[in-house]
Amino acid sequence: MKETVITVKRKKIEIWTLVACFVIGNIINVYAIQKYDTPYSELFWSLGYVVTVTVALYVVWSVIRLVIYAILRPFCKKR
Amino acid sequence: MKKELSRRDFLKSAGLIGLGAGTLLSTVPWMEALADENTKKTIGEKVRIGIIGPGSRGRFLMNLIKKNPKAEMVAICDIYQPSIDKALKIAPKAKVYNDYRKLLEDKEVDAVVIATPLYRHYQMAMDSLDAGKDLFCEKSLSYTIAQCYDVYQKYKSTGRIFFVGQQRLFDPRYLKAMEMIHSGMFGEIQAVRAFWFRNGSWRNNVPDPSLERQLNWRLYKEYSRGLMTELGGHLLQVGTWAMQKLPETVMGAGGLTYWKDGREVDDNVSCIFSMDDGRRITYESVISNKFYGLEEQIMGNLGTVEPEKGMYYFEDGTVNGVTPKPAAGFMQMMKDVQNQVFEKLPFAGTSWEPEVAKDVKGNYIMGEDYKINTDGSQELINAFVEAVITQKQPERIAEECYYASAMVLLGYDAIEQGKKLTFPHEYRLNYLNHKHQAK
Repeated sequence: MKETVITVKRKKIEIWTLVACFVIGNIINVYAIQKYDTPYSELFWSLGYVVTVTVALYVVWSVIRLVIYAILRPFCKKR
Repeated sequence: MKKELSRRDFLKSAGLIGLGAGTLLSTVPWMEALADENTKKTIGEKVRIGIIGPGSRGRFLMNLIKKNPKAEMVAICDIYQPSIDKALKIAPKAKVYNDYRKLLEDKEVDAVVIATPLYRHYQMAMDSLDAGKDLFCEKSLSYTIAQCYDVYQKYKSTGRIFFVGQQRLFDPRYLKAMEMIHSGMFGEIQAVRAFWFRNGSWRNNVPDPSLERQLNWRLYKEYSRGLMTELGGHLLQVGTWAMQKLPETVMGAGGLTYWKDGREVDDNVSCIFSMDDGRRITYESVISNKFYGLEEQIMGNLGTVEPEKGMYYFEDGTVNGVTPKPAAGFMQMMKDVQNQVFEKLPFAGTSWEPEVAKDVKGNYIMGEDYKINTDGSQELINAFVEAVITQKQPERIAEECYYASAMVLLGYDAIEQGKKLTFPHEYRLNYLNHKHQAK
């Protein structure tokens, strides 16, 4: 099995992607709190849902990126 | 341990210990007859009552009268000897008549209780009031709406005391429920769904076939209006009491669907009474299925009352003052998104989730320990006795009783004619939203 190297740049991209998903999850939560007139303590108590959404968004975004990578790869090799 | 409800407890629960409880008395002024201050003044007085028709219901009332120390039964009248014999066991000293007119001539009789078959009520009630007797007539008041109106007018012109057997007017559960309803606890009452379901033939065993129509009078149109007059009046009176409004129109349908044993009256009826603002009271009765039993479901935009069960429910699920927390906003939004995604599916209907009734524990109208030991019948009789002694007709009771009978009879006519009927203006009283207009 070949050694794989995760570059610092890749790590940063993935961490920032995860943070972005987490922020989006929280924005959705704030919107829901306002829309359904529920207490702001849900920013804390609904963290479980937010984390779930964060992971879901990250997975969806990763899949999209993999698909794009798979499509573009042949063209990259030609170059 | 379950509590027995004493008379004082009853009055206390109804807010009548001392007349300071003006809130209740403003909506149920007839309860004033039973207020402590008034009943103390009549101690030692005695009302002499004659019973016309001591059949099963008549004897039930006799047993209630017997419990009242301010009343004595001095005369009975019937044409059926077994009923007379049974009645004499309850009131051994009572004089026996076979003709009610002779009983009415008896100067020792102050007041009469009429518990005969429906078709006899009218003439007996009119003659009783003409004879100067105070009148307690079993429901329904008469056989037609015109007759009911005549009796009401006779009561007004003679100034006698006039009660009809609408015992829910004195039932503690109903009094308390109405106090809650009229305070706005359940919002505006939008609809009342009343039903009375039984599974039984409603037929009495007769010792001789020649007595069939006499003893099973409820089953024949010549004597009875069936499920409308025998059961409906109680429930419809509760409906208009809750809404504080009287109906403009009624539609109805009925049929003889199960007990096809030679009877003439329907065993399956349904009526819709509509107010001028579109709110409704529905009444339904079937006597071949008892699963849902008897109830008046009084539905406001904030909650529902089921007085027969002695329960009430809030739309937000509040039980014993505790309101369940709503789902987190995040989850509510997810659910809405889910509904929006799936609602366009053709098989899903208007709601993705089936809207079955919620299994909510509910709240007790009279408290969890309250044991039902009265349906108001004893208090109704007691109020009648007090009214006869004091010669003060309790406010609104005659009108509530009149309309209970008038509504069921109008419903009966709607079923028979297969038409939507408007409450005749000539039979309206100047009561609540109704105004009388001469024909």
